[in-house]
Amino acid sequence: MAGMVVKIIQIILSPILALITGVFFLGLARKIVARIHWRYGPPLIQPVIDIIRLFYQKSISHGGMFDLGIVLSLAGSIVVVLFLPFGQITPLSSSGGLLVILYIMLLAPLGIALSAGQGANPNISIGISRKLILSLGYEVPLLLVLLAVMTRYKTISIVQVVNIQQSTGWSLFSLPLFLSGLSYFLILPAILGIRPFDMASAPQEISSGPMAEYGGKYLALATIEHAFVLFISIALFVNLFLGGAANPVIFFVKMLVVFVFGLFIHAVFPRFRIEQAIKYLWKWPTLLAFVGLIITSFIRS
Amino acid sequence: MDRNQITKWLKAPAKMANKYSLHAIYFCTGCGIIEVPPVITSRWDAERFGVIPVATPRQANLFLITGYVSVKTLRAIIRTYEQMYEPKYTVGFGSCPINGGMYWDSYNTIKHLDKYIPIDGWIAGCMPRPEAIFIAVTHLWTLIDKDMANGYIRYKENYKLYRRNQETVLGKLDWPPLYPIHDNVKAVENE
Repeated sequence: MAGMVVKIIQIILSPILALITGVFFLGLARKIVARIHWRYGPPLIQPVIDIIRLFYQKSISHGGMFDLGIVLSLAGSIVVVLFLPFGQITPLSSSGGLLVILYIMLLAPLGIALSAGQGANPNISIGISRKLILSLGYEVPLLLVLLAVMTRYKTISIVQVVNIQQSTGWSLFSLPLFLSGLSYFLILPAILGIRPFDMASAPQEISSGPMAEYGGKYLALATIEHAFVLFISIALFVNLFLGGAANPVIFFVKMLVVFVFGLFIHAVFPRFRIEQAIKYLWKWPTLLAFVGLIITSFIRS
Repeated sequence: MDRNQITKWLKAPAKMANKYSLHAIYFCTGCGIIEVPPVITSRWDAERFGVIPVATPRQANLFLITGYVSVKTLRAIIRTYEQMYEPKYTVGFGSCPINGGMYWDSYNTIKHLDKYIPIDGWIAGCMPRPEAIFIAVTHLWTLIDKDMANGYIRYKENYKLYRRNQETVLGKLDWPPLYPIHDNVKAVENE
C-alpha cells in the first residue's frame, strides 16, 4: 500500500520536476547565449513571463486537429518523462524499456506536425517537411546507438542500464561504448532542434516554420512541449552514458553540464541547410555509431 | 525583478506579463528599421526588458511602424495588425507616420497613420536614436499600467470608421471585416 502511494506521488511529481527543469533550461539558454554575444541578457524567469503572457492572450483555433495535435504531442512528452528515471525517481521505468521510449518519442514531433499542418500556411509545410527530414537524419544514428547500448548490457530496461553503470562506471568512458556516446552527443543538437540544426524553425527564412500560426495559448503549450523535449533528450543521454545518478540533484547537475556544452555549439555556429544537415548526420555520427555497434557486438561474443 | 513588484504580479499577472514580454513583429515598413538591429543586438540589448523580435504576427504583441508608410505598405500593415492577437500595442517610429515628415507632399505616402490603424504612442524624430525605443518601451509600460494603451479596444469600437478610411485610400479591400459592421448591413452583404 505504501509503495502504491509512493508510486502515485512519483507519477505526479516527475512531470512537474521535468517541466521546471525544462523551463529553467530555456531561460538559462537565453541568458548564456546573451553572455556569449556580450549582452546582459533577459532575466532567468523570462520564459515564465512569456508563458503567462501567452496564456492571457486571445487566440483563435484553425480547426479540431489544431487543438488536438498539440495536446497529443504534450501528452506523448509527459508519458516519455514517466518512463525515464530521474535520479532514483523511477515511476514507470521498471515496466517499460528503451523500445517503449523509442516508440513514444515519435508522438511529440508527430503531434506538432498534425497540429501545425491544420494552419495551412506555406511556411508551415516547409517547416514540417524539414523537421521530418531532419528526424529521418538523426533517427538512424540514434537507433544504432541504442542498439549498441542494449547489446553491451544485454537488457532493454533503462533502470538496469543505470544500475549496472552505478557499479561499473560511466559507459561514456568504457571502451566499446565511447564511440556511441560521442555519436549521441553529436546528434544531440539535431534532436533538440538548436543551431546548427534549427532549419525547421528558422525565423529568418520561413517565419519560424511550424510555429508560424501558433499564438496565445497554443504557443504557450508549444513552448512547454519544447521544454519537455529538452528534458527528455538530455535525460536519456545522462541515463545511458553518464551513469544516471543516485539522487535528483546530481542528475540535474549532470544534465546542466551536457546542456551547457550543447549551448556553446548553439551560440557560435550558423545554420546548416537541410541537405547539409542530412549529409553530416548520415556521415560522421552514423559512422561512429556503426563502428561502435560492431566493436560492441564483437567484444560480447 | 524588484521585490515590491511581487504584489503587483499577484494583483494583475496579465498586465505585468504583457509589460515585460513585448514581442515585436519584425516587419520592415520603412527606413527606420535600420535602427532596430542595434537595439536587439549587443550594443543596446533590448532582450534585457523582454523585448525581442518574432517572425510572425501571431506571436507578437508589439507593432513598430518604422518610417514612412506608402500606400502599398499600408495594405500589408493593416493585414499584419489584424492578424495579431489581443492585447496588442502599436508604436509609430519616426516623424513620417505622425504627419508625413519629409514626405509631406508626396502623392504616394500616408500622412496620418492613426487614421487607418490605432497608435498607442509615437516616437518623434528623423531618425530617432535607438535609445528612443527604450524610452518608448518604458512609456508603454506606464500606459499599460494605467490601462491607457487601449488601441485595440478603440479599433474594435470605431471599426466602421477605420474601415471606411482604409477603403478610401486602398479602394475595395480583398479581405472580410475583422469585426462585424452593424449599422451598415449592405456592406456586410457585399463582402
